[in-house]
Amino acid sequence: MLLFVLTAKIAEDDPELVRRLKNREPQAMADLYDRYGRLTYALIFRVVRNGSVAEDLVQETFLRVWNRVHGFDAERGSFGPWILTVARNRAIDYLRSVDGRTKQTPFELEKMEEPSQYAHIERDILNMDRARILREAFVKLSPNQRIVIELAYYEGLSQTEMAERMRQPLGTVKTWVRTALKALREHLGEQAALA
Amino acid sequence: MNHEELSDLYELYTQGVLEEPERAEIEQHLGNACPECEAGVKGALRLNALLATLPETVEPPRRLRQRVLASVGVEPAMSRIWRNAWAVAAVALAMVLIVVAMSNQRRGRELADADRQLAQTRLDVQRSSAEVRQVRSALALLNLPNTREIVFGAGAAPEPPRGRIFVNRQQGVLLMASNLPPAPEGKIYELWLIPKGGNPVPSGLFQSDLQGNALFVRSGEVDANTAAVAVSVEPEAGSTAPTTKPLIVAAVSD
Repeated sequence: MLLFVLTAKIAEDDPELVRRLKNREPQAMADLYDRYGRLTYALIFRVVRNGSVAEDLVQETFLRVWNRVHGFDAERGSFGPWILTVARNRAIDYLRSVDGRTKQTPFELEKMEEPSQYAHIERDILNMDRARILREAFVKLSPNQRIVIELAYYEGLSQTEMAERMRQPLGTVKTWVRTALKALREHLGEQAALA
Repeated sequence: MNHEELSDLYELYTQGVLEEPERAEIEQHLGNACPECEAGVKGALRLNALLATLPETVEPPRRLRQRVLASVGVEPAMSRIWRNAWAVAAVALAMVLIVVAMSNQRRGRELADADRQLAQTRLDVQRSSAEVRQVRSALALLNLPNTREIVFGAGAAPEPPRGRIFVNRQQGVLLMASNLPPAPEGKIYELWLIPKGGNPVPSGLFQSDLQGNALFVRSGEVDANTAAVAVSVEPEAGSTAPTTKPLIVAAVSD
């Protein structure tokens, strides 16, 4: 069952919410949490599988958004994807730190947290239809394709790390990743074209 | 690699899991404002956002909302009853102000002052509510029989942060500190749990008050391998690893 999606109207209200956050209006932070708190918690919980840790990381996520919202372009930016990236990165950072994987994967997750990266992305990208379409595409993937997508997105594993985890040749893992992403992209593209 | 080959990698790049040399190649293209790669990254961010909607519903605890609001210095939302009560009070006060202001300007100014005081009181009440919750969490942890106490800063000079850290392996960590001046603008204090032979694990951000006192609870299980608790000054968004020398380091013994 789909956890949560944003209606187009709510997403259209995001620029106003961003402006209020920049003005440090107390109610704006409450509205931000009410709009994205459940989605953020579910995503982080899926990654860390621990309620207490998830609470800490949700708190860090909103703190980071609060501190960095001044750099977000309310008119051009897509707010939801930015918040979800911040949330996912907090959770992956945590996983990597407890697994001692920081040195093996020294990539700058923060680079994708730059608010400017979210300019010109559809404001209503998280709407019900798109989320449903992605879910449909995801369940059509083969089990191994689903696993590699999950290992990358929800566990932050590189393809080499996936190969080690799955005890499969690196080339095989790369093929699963490539074909899975292609299938997801194509399905989303086809459905968008039909809409 | 050509763009067709790179097009398979944008999602991994944006998820921070792409390895060398492909990662450097995409970075180079982006550094040169390559339009194909910029479009590819945008597309990948769209797909990533939708991947975030796949997890099943898990309701966050109700307390989390208040915790989030308190952590950014915003008072937690009051209950509907209290909000209504305040609304009624505000309307009543406004009516009184109007009547009195019409009859006596001086009296009106006094009431305006009272209005400001009322608003300030309201903020104080909300702030106190957040503090009360924090204290309740702290007391709960203190009352547990298997909570261990660590004293830090005693006897050091000149005037270091002093206080106590309480560790309960099942419930969390409580930090009570004094002589800890508020972190400078743009900075914040970050708590670290340091496993034996491992890297410090970021465990929450907090600020001290103007008197240099801090009370912070990091709830949740504490890894059995945790050998020390530390606090350092970090950028306000927090760090994944300490970037300054810790102000507080306390060894955790079993």
